[in-house]
Amino acid sequence: MRVAAVALNTFRETIRDRILGVIILFALAMIVASLWLASISLGQEDRMIKDFGLAAISVFGLIVAAFVAASLVRKEVEKRTVFIIFSKPVSRSEFIWGKFLGLAATMLTVLTGMTVFLFALAWMVAGSPSGSLLLAGLLIFLQLLVVMAMTMLFSTMTSAILASVWGICVYAAGQLSHNVLSLSRLGHSEVTHVLSTAVFFVVPNLSAVDLRAAVVGEAGHGTTLLAWCAYLVAYLVIALFAATWIFARKEF
Amino acid sequence: MRAAVTSARAPGREHDVTLTADRPTTTRMLEVAGLHKTVAVGFRRRKVDILKGVDLEVNDGDVFGLLGPNGAGKTTTLKVVLGLMRPTSGTVALGVAGLSELGYLPENPYFYDYLTGAEFLRLCGRLFSMDAHERERRIATILDDVGLQPAAGVQLRKYSKGMLQRIGIAQALINEPRFVLLDEPMTGLDPIGRVEVKEIIQRLHERGTTVLFNSHVLSDVAALCTRIAIMRDGRAIWQGTVDEALAASPAGDLESFFMKVVRS
Amino acid sequence: MRRLLALAAVAVCVAVVIVYQTNRPAAATPNPVVFVPSPGFYKNFSPSVRATLADVYWLSTIQYYGEHVKSDHRLDSLPAMVRLVTSLSPHFTEAYFFGAFSMIDVGRPATAYALLQQGYRANPRDWRFPFYLGFFAYTYASGAHKDAVAAQWYADAARLPGRPAFVARLAAELATKGNETQTAIDLWTQVYCQGDKYARQKAVTALDRLLPTDKVAREKAVARLEPAVPHALFAQFVADLFQGYN
Repeated sequence: MRVAAVALNTFRETIRDRILGVIILFALAMIVASLWLASISLGQEDRMIKDFGLAAISVFGLIVAAFVAASLVRKEVEKRTVFIIFSKPVSRSEFIWGKFLGLAATMLTVLTGMTVFLFALAWMVAGSPSGSLLLAGLLIFLQLLVVMAMTMLFSTMTSAILASVWGICVYAAGQLSHNVLSLSRLGHSEVTHVLSTAVFFVVPNLSAVDLRAAVVGEAGHGTTLLAWCAYLVAYLVIALFAATWIFARKEF
Repeated sequence: MRAAVTSARAPGREHDVTLTADRPTTTRMLEVAGLHKTVAVGFRRRKVDILKGVDLEVNDGDVFGLLGPNGAGKTTTLKVVLGLMRPTSGTVALGVAGLSELGYLPENPYFYDYLTGAEFLRLCGRLFSMDAHERERRIATILDDVGLQPAAGVQLRKYSKGMLQRIGIAQALINEPRFVLLDEPMTGLDPIGRVEVKEIIQRLHERGTTVLFNSHVLSDVAALCTRIAIMRDGRAIWQGTVDEALAASPAGDLESFFMKVVRS
Repeated sequence: MRRLLALAAVAVCVAVVIVYQTNRPAAATPNPVVFVPSPGFYKNFSPSVRATLADVYWLSTIQYYGEHVKSDHRLDSLPAMVRLVTSLSPHFTEAYFFGAFSMIDVGRPATAYALLQQGYRANPRDWRFPFYLGFFAYTYASGAHKDAVAAQWYADAARLPGRPAFVARLAAELATKGNETQTAIDLWTQVYCQGDKYARQKAVTALDRLLPTDKVAREKAVARLEPAVPHALFAQFVADLFQGYN
């Protein structure tokens, strides 16, 4: 009940924030701009709209995930609304989980809107619906959940802006993590191998299932979808537990 | 059910902490004994003692005024009582079952910009796990009590300072607490607002609710409080009834007594 | 007074911006050779990032082509650009075909052929690759074995799923060495039917050279092709081949 209360409050606060509206407008503008790019692509309108549209959704979703998640906890501490919350029988873990779930609900709403918009646009251009676009949108959502959880973890340790930057770095590193092990084999040093293995496990593997590439006809990697989803969920649970552990030790 | 709130939620992190299962004596709502709080400040983590052995006793049903110059440790004491901060040593014993029977208004409160007054109170009610029907009834009552019924559907970012203070009091009282802690409740209020807050405190007192508040407005303290404590430099240097203070006052008012104690 | 000065300053700045942009030197002479990053640089990126990069480079490839095809007619960097696009996105089949036909435009059929072979290796189930390879071998190769090579490509195409029925017929025609001009007309007609707008332009240019110039003879020749052209496309096919005829 208390987690739900914090989550609902977070959802209301974030969804009503004007900054979110501006970000969404920019994202929709980018998607529409892909129409223009598609018009100069020599017959590749379908591919261009889907690819650039999904890229726009990823980028703007990442901006929301990194910047809004970073300020979720920080803002409460800086504005001292934590005094209101923790003077009531709410535990630190209920607070962290509630914040995360509330932002996840916001992110789902935003991404659903953008993905459906892109789906309709692509249908209009291609003349037939592309169900894989909707699935790609869902997978982008899962990736961003992990980024949100990591950003919240960072925000319990450092300032909001630094936490946002680290969150974006996690996303970028997550797109490359499948290569970390192969890179380590290029070196001859045992230290490199150990470090690479550590990085491989610590950095979330965000590109194991690459449906964005599949939407435009390219092959992704071979991991099954369900296994990857389970991995992402496990990863973000670990990140949130770590965030709760650190936050529980904070004084206000 | 009455329980003691003890210190050190992070075992092993603090030292010299006395964990007590004792209840305060029957008439006490709050007993603070030997409270110390040290914080590490700055890049070199220099240790600063904020509380240097605070002893406080608040009786059940008191309207207790906690006075002191800025930086005396009043807000820190409240935060330790509420568990927002952990004491370095000392004990805190509360005569309530837990946070569900407490109400708290922080100093210069800030709330959620995009929630309406009613939504914010609904959030607070849910955090107390209040039953939905009871919650709505209390919201309607409390909004009426603080005079914010017309603004219940307005977002908090559009509230004036006085309105924010009143919604802050409303959220502190939504759960009908037995013990209310108010940090500078009169801040930012116009004279009408201050009168209304004083009336609220008086009504709470009449209902038997224990109230502890910080204030710099000594005339309000003299009018409302049954007992007071004066803090300076991290210690409670004087405690007693308002009558005792007035009797010992050079000019017969609380202000001169306060100045005498603080400067001694 | 201060407001007027501020407005005047803004007006001056707006004027400077507009004047500069309108008088900006025309785009520099297109550089026939542009810097094209090595595909290997991107190999560590995730597939979706590579696919998006391929699209970005595709747009710059088209722009490069547009700048040069009408001016200096040099497309020196185009093969590298197409290779970059297709390395990043190996199933981007249109890039191979575009690159191949562009190379034909600038008289580099061997490069066109190599691009299509690369595409076929990455997309072995796409019948269009062996079809066009056969077409290029037949049309642009020289030597005694070109028909046999073309026939082999068409035979490969005929075995792949989704190929139209005429592919097998063409393979047979080549194998039996039928009328070469007629075979060429049949092949270009199929290029017209199967290709995109760009390929159709190429096909119209080639058919214009192969078909009789006499209007009546041309009408007869085009009528013979009608069974091979989809009904919905035939009217446009006729219009394209009789442009300039009354």
